[in-house]
Order: sequence, then structure tokens, then C-alpha cells
Amino acid sequence: MILDANAFLGKWPYWPVQHTKPEEIAAALNGLHIERAAVCSTRSVFVNWDDGNREVEDAAKHHAEFVPFVCLGTQELSHVWHPAHYDFAGYAARGFRGVRLYPQHHSYHLLFESFVDGILEDAAVRGWPVVLPLRILMNWGMPSLDPSVMEAIVTRHPRVRWILAGVNYLYELQMAVFLMQRYETVHLETSCMMGYAAIEKTMGRCGHSRLLFGSGMPWQEAAAGLIKITHANISTDAQEAILGANLLRLIGESTS
Amino acid sequence: MIVDGHVHIGKSTRLQIDMDGGGLVRIADSIGVDKLCCTDLTALFYDMHEGNRLLFEEMRRFPDRILGYASLHSTRFGQEGLDEIRRCREVYGMRGLKIYSTPEMSIAEPAMIPILEVCAELNMPILAHTTPAECDYLMSHVPEVRFIMAHAGGQPYAHGDWNRAIMIAAKHRNLYLDTACSTIDTGFVETCIRRLGADRVIFGTDVPLLDPWPQLEKARQVRLSDEERAFYMGGNILRLMGVKA
Repeated sequence: MILDANAFLGKWPYWPVQHTKPEEIAAALNGLHIERAAVCSTRSVFVNWDDGNREVEDAAKHHAEFVPFVCLGTQELSHVWHPAHYDFAGYAARGFRGVRLYPQHHSYHLLFESFVDGILEDAAVRGWPVVLPLRILMNWGMPSLDPSVMEAIVTRHPRVRWILAGVNYLYELQMAVFLMQRYETVHLETSCMMGYAAIEKTMGRCGHSRLLFGSGMPWQEAAAGLIKITHANISTDAQEAILGANLLRLIGESTS
Repeated sequence: MIVDGHVHIGKSTRLQIDMDGGGLVRIADSIGVDKLCCTDLTALFYDMHEGNRLLFEEMRRFPDRILGYASLHSTRFGQEGLDEIRRCREVYGMRGLKIYSTPEMSIAEPAMIPILEVCAELNMPILAHTTPAECDYLMSHVPEVRFIMAHAGGQPYAHGDWNRAIMIAAKHRNLYLDTACSTIDTGFVETCIRRLGADRVIFGTDVPLLDPWPQLEKARQVRLSDEERAFYMGGNILRLMGVKA
């Protein structure tokens, strides 16, 4: 079973992309034998996080392929603080299974906004994975997080089941490996790992139980992401774990 | 035949690479690549004479597999650099030039012009780690030189902007795009080929810096005729280097 830890719905504002509708993305997943994908909407990233979540919620009702992750941003909009708390019980009732944060696209600093700590404490209590992307896809034009900020927020909230995403550069991978070695709660998604033997080298230091296949589709070629795992020099058990079993466990489901 | 147009050999602690010709040929065998167009990292970043000589030795060890790019580590060595290019072409049999540009030490400057002119005279394509704007400047000065924009904008100094790379390549008929890069954006390679033609885009992996499998797969995903694929996957770089398939 193949599960994708990092896929998207919505539109891509920077250049034309062929498949953006939920049914097209579901078909593309099926074509690659990816049974399910953790998704959020780029509407959440680029327009309004709550509107995007509604889009994802609706898409997941119609397509069993989608595992909805709620994208959360600041509640201060139009210079007014909206005091409503982040309603995790409500998100769960709506079918969401995890959280994604995009501070570099939402104009807040992970370390200096109290709402971030609140979100992370709630996620930790619920055992929800929190995806923290260093960059949204492996394109150097996209804004990226400072790895030391990523390290600091993980260290501040070690109980959170982290999925570090969008990691590429050697020093970024070193940061991720450092955190994985320090905290059993830290996982790493593969969509931007492009270095030679990066999967094998990471496994050599951290094992395979916390590596998660991610594609970045439909903005990235999912087949090019898959082949990194399927052609890596690793055991069949490790391959199966990275391709799906590890994410399944994180979202509270079993392989049987 | 698959020819990898962008390969590194030699040593660089910064890039965490220490790879000789034997290691590269083993990788090539494992992924089905027939020929490797290599540049030596010592020549590219430290000492052109030493590094190019090391590459020549590897070319002699694997004459059917390794094609050489001469490398310069700077535009600022004047006649010494020009003489090195000639020596690499005439003595070592290297078929192209590789040079690296950074924002702090950009090759888009007058010192690069004689280098372009020598390469044009010697029929040597230049693979350059450059931005679209730098290519625009250089091609405007020596339009007859055959110039390959390494990574097609898919590198940090070019802000990953492969769309801009295509626009600039469309302005200059001797500007080619090399698709080796960390970017696997949907439609990247296909758009390069549809806008410029399959004879203007060059396949590469950037081994041993990058994992070659995603590079091969992003090429495989592009819908191409057999002829277009043959150009992209090797025919173009062999033609530019003057090598028969």
C-alpha cells in the first residue's frame, strides 16, 4: 500500500499546472497506485486558510483517496484578532487527521506567536501529526523556513508528532537527522530530498520507521518522487514502511 | 543511447563528493547511462590545471564512457585561462567548457567575453552554472557561442525560475537548457521542450550530487516522439560536443 504524506488540492498561482481538480488529482494518484494522500489546499496557503480547509473537507467526502490535513494560520485578519480558539474537536468531526503549518506563507514567526504554541499543544494531546514544511516544493523560488527556527520549535514541543517536510540541502537534512536522533516523535517526509543516496544515508542514521514518502503532487512529478524510494538500495520491509505503513501508523490506522 | 550531460568527478568537501571515474561508471551502469560528460571539481573550484589533468586521466581510463568538459574556476586568469582551454581541447581532447557563476563572483562580466570567443572558435559548448540574466548578457555579446544554462534556472542563484530560463533561451538560438536539478516541478521538462524544441534541451543528472533516478523519471514522464527523446537524452549534447553516437 502506498500513501503520500504530502500532496495538495487547489490551484497553483505561479505557472500553469495541468491537473488541479480533486477528481484529476485522485485519478493521478490511482494511476501511480498511490491509494491515499494526506492533502491540504493551496487556497489555505495562498488565500485564506479556513476557506481552503472547507475545500479539502468537501473533496475528502467525495474521494476516499484524500486524507485531509487541516492547514492552520493566524487568526488576526484585517487587523482584528478573532479570539475563537482552534477547534480541534470540530476539525476531527469534519474528518481532519493532522495539521499543516506554512508560517513562511502566512506572515508569522513560529517562535513568537502564542497561537502556534496553542495549536501544537492541542495537536500533541490529540496525537495528531503536524506537518512543518521547510518549503512548499523543491523550487528555489519558494520561500523557505530557517532550519534553526524549525529546530527551535521542535525542541520547544517535543511531544508533537512532527512530520518535517520540504528538506533538501545537506545542512537541512543534517538538521532533520539531528532532530530525529534526539526525538522519537520526529518524522521526515521525502518530497524535496534529491541528494544522491539521501534515503539510504538518512536510514543509516535514523532507521526507516520515521521516513515517509511524500510527492508534492500535483506541483511536483509524483513518479519522480516515488522512484527515489522504489530504486533506493534498501530492504523490502523498509520500502514498504516508507511508502505507506509509517504514515498509516501516524494517522492511527493499522496495515492489517 | 543515453548521455548524461551534467556529471561531476573528483573531490569537494563542500559538496560532500569524492568520486573517481570507476565509481561514476558503476553508477552509470546501474541506471543505464552510456556516456558521462564530466567536469572535475578541483578544476571548477580550485586549480584548473590540476583538475583538468585529473579529468584527462579518468578520460583515458574510460575512453568510451567519459567525455570531458574543461573547467575554469574563474574568469579572472586572462591569457592563462584561454591557454588552458586550448590545451584541454587540443591535448586532452575535451569537448566543452564548464564554468560556475555565483552572485558574489558572477561570470557576466567583460572578463568572460574572450573565453566565450575562444570556445566559439574551438567549437566547444559551454555548460555554465548561471542565471537567465547572466546568459542574456553573455549571449548578447557573443551570440555565436553555444551555451548551456546548467539547471535551466533550477538552482538557488536563479531562484528556481525555469520559466524565465525558457524566455531567455527563446531569445538566443544558441542558448540551450540543461534539466539536471533538484526541481521536479510538474511540466518543467515538457515546457522547456515544447517552447524551445527538443534540439535545445539537454538531459543530465548532476551525479554524484543528486540522485539520478528522479532525473531519469522526470525525463521519462515527458511525452515525446522517439526522435525528440533521442535528441534530449543524448543526441543534443553529442552533437554540440562533436561526438558521433
